[in-house]
Amino acid sequence: MSCDLPVTMAADSCYHCALPIPAGCDITVDIEGVDRPVCCPGCKAVAELIRDTGLSSYYAMREAPEPGAGRPPDEGGEWHIFNSDDMLTAFSAGDDELADVTIYVGGMYCSACSWLIESTVTRLPGVETADINPVAHRLRVRWNRAALGLGDLLRSLADLGYEPQPLTPDSTARPEVAEQRTALKRLLVASLGMMQAMMFAVGLYAGDYQGIDPDMQHFLRLVSFFVTTPVVFYSARPFFAGAIRGVRARQPGMDLPVSIAVGAAYAASVYATFTRGPAVWYDSVTMFVFFLTLGRFLEMRARHRSIDRSTALSSLLPNTALKLSGDERLVVPVSQLLAGDLVAVRAGDSIPADGTVVDGETTVDEALLTGETTPLVRREGDTMTAGSVNLDGNVTMRVERTGNATTLGTISRLSEQARFARPAFVQLADRIASYIVVALLVVAAAVAVYWYFAAPERAFVITLSVLVVTCPCALALATPAAFAAAGARLSVLHLLVTDGNAIEVLAKANSVIFDKTGTLTKGTPAITSIEVFDDGWEEQRLRKVAAALESASSHPIAQAFSIDAPLPETSGLRVSIGQGVSGIVDGRRWRLGRADFVSSGTARRSDSATRVYLGLDDNLVAAFSLEDELRHDAAATVDALRDLGVDVSLLSGDSEIPVARVADALDIEQFESDCSPKRKLDAIKFAQSSGKKVIMVGDGINDAPVLAGADTSVALAHGAMLAQTSADVIMPGESLSPLVTGIRTARMTMRIVRQNLAWAIVYNATALPLAAAGFVPPWAAAIGMSASSLVVVLNALRLSRYLP
Amino acid sequence: MSILYLLIPLALLILGAAVWAFFWAVSSGQFDDLDTPAVRIILDDDTKPANEKEE
Repeated sequence: MSCDLPVTMAADSCYHCALPIPAGCDITVDIEGVDRPVCCPGCKAVAELIRDTGLSSYYAMREAPEPGAGRPPDEGGEWHIFNSDDMLTAFSAGDDELADVTIYVGGMYCSACSWLIESTVTRLPGVETADINPVAHRLRVRWNRAALGLGDLLRSLADLGYEPQPLTPDSTARPEVAEQRTALKRLLVASLGMMQAMMFAVGLYAGDYQGIDPDMQHFLRLVSFFVTTPVVFYSARPFFAGAIRGVRARQPGMDLPVSIAVGAAYAASVYATFTRGPAVWYDSVTMFVFFLTLGRFLEMRARHRSIDRSTALSSLLPNTALKLSGDERLVVPVSQLLAGDLVAVRAGDSIPADGTVVDGETTVDEALLTGETTPLVRREGDTMTAGSVNLDGNVTMRVERTGNATTLGTISRLSEQARFARPAFVQLADRIASYIVVALLVVAAAVAVYWYFAAPERAFVITLSVLVVTCPCALALATPAAFAAAGARLSVLHLLVTDGNAIEVLAKANSVIFDKTGTLTKGTPAITSIEVFDDGWEEQRLRKVAAALESASSHPIAQAFSIDAPLPETSGLRVSIGQGVSGIVDGRRWRLGRADFVSSGTARRSDSATRVYLGLDDNLVAAFSLEDELRHDAAATVDALRDLGVDVSLLSGDSEIPVARVADALDIEQFESDCSPKRKLDAIKFAQSSGKKVIMVGDGINDAPVLAGADTSVALAHGAMLAQTSADVIMPGESLSPLVTGIRTARMTMRIVRQNLAWAIVYNATALPLAAAGFVPPWAAAIGMSASSLVVVLNALRLSRYLP
Repeated sequence: MSILYLLIPLALLILGAAVWAFFWAVSSGQFDDLDTPAVRIILDDDTKPANEKEE
């Protein structure tokens, strides 16, 4: 098989996880005879595991990888505790012999991932079935309880670089699954009913021309009645329900004429069947219902293809917690924690529930929840929020709220609601459709009255044709179908649209305003320069000392110091919260941190957050300047945006020097530093007043009101969850380029919407006079109307294959 | 033509059975993932696992 990747990847990015390969790193993996570069030993291990189990075609078949996906986790995890019987009972929906567990698998992003996971899991001992739903990120495994522990199963997923999380049986019920199942059943009943009814209709039509035994005609009509009845009462039920809702809300949608047409044609056919009347329309009824149901089904599928973000949020919670009962420390799954429990949280762990600190002191990183990147000090009596990360102290906390009751749970619920809410564009389409519907009903009534006097025997058939042929389905589907398909396509392109209006604005936008920290930059600092005060020391040596000192800390700044080299021996490392680290390195006392912490006599240097000092025995030896690195595709994104005719500007709350440096590096002319949220909002308002459509790209909590003020807002998902809930579009990754593909796709979407609307209007304008004049029999009307709707839906589905 | 009086009801019975079978398949979750099966055929094990080569 070919080793060529179907996707182009930068030569200097990791073959496995697509992150850039650090300078000086030379690790390769032999995949199918070609040495592929990888970025770290962890990725090498995962790639080798995949190769050695014969699953290398994963690399050939996967979609463009999102940088960082599939990276092995840094810590080992405590999967063995999931091997206990109690644990399995808590998560399994199966019986004594067969375990049945649903696992949320974080980090999978395409069909190749699901194949890799499924192939790996089915090779484990005792596994009977493994069903994976890549859209919902869920894996359902059924296996022989005796042969395999849950912990070993989770471990094997973690070894592949995914983040598994078992779900309790009650949290696995999902409304979309139920909706899709019902829709499939309705579609099948309609399609089988249609096929049967049409078959019998052929016999009836042939009979009309060649003559037919009246008993046989009656029999065929009766059989048609039997196959049509379930179609009308089961498959078409959503249309009747929708029509009744529409009438009650005094806003009739396209369901109303559909219901009238289906109901009237069915009733007239039943009447004709039992009174042996002149004609039946069972074929038209079933065909009409089938094509409408098919259109709805395709639209629903497009709608469901957005990533289940609420479960993604819950993956921020750890799997286990250290519960204190008496003097004992028990490792329990987080789902078994109750309010009032005492829990020990070690440095580096995620906080398992909302609660209060009862003992100890630490700093926490709440960046994922609030966007606040500065670590916050938490002492006795302070509150802790589930999902935030305990950075440097060991504390004991009393649990107050768990699971869905936590702040994190509330945020998930809010985003879930947003996903099920009807976007404004659908509401607008419905409003317009309701006027058209009323107009059409008036026209149909007028046609009925005219033909009642001109040719009473044809009045019913012609009115029926008018109702069917003019059903504004194509018109009503034109916009939602295109937008739903675009939403699905965008989520594949790593862009989640939470507000349907966003697509329209993305297409029309001619100005993009970026925030700096965490948006154009990575939000994690890296060392840019070292200033050595004492000439007796080499730079490289000092870096090692600093790395050794910081090895004890999980503070974000510490990561900037880590280097890929053997570290000198250290002892007595102590983290002074909010100050720095101290310890003995190679027998001498070093301190790293704020200037006044490193050397008690100094306050002579301004306490800048981006300068970290290193001192030996109370003397300053060196200063490290830290800067926030640009995202790897920031420059390419800015250039591509300009090519699309979009202005780029930068508004940041940061101080002038770093902002100017970023603006300079990216060649952005319009930039402003030291912006308060209010100032940013004013800048957006000003741009809008001069006729611009503004996209705001940001991530922090400070951005939330600013994001709301822009025409549309884009947030990076690694930023604040609150910003996510107010952002219209979310980029769930580390790269900015989805914004460009998003704008291109949005423009394509608007083109398709315009094509669809034009087609629907031309169709209706041609078909209505023909039907009113009596040239269109009901079956032809049903075909015409269905075909016009399908054209619209299929045109919209072109977007699912659109490559920007 | 009177055979139709037998064959058509028979066809309806088979239709009923087909609908029942499909409903059962949907309810047991066989149609929940409509995306992966489409690519599974391409992704089969044409590369031998390294640790199973001896077998």
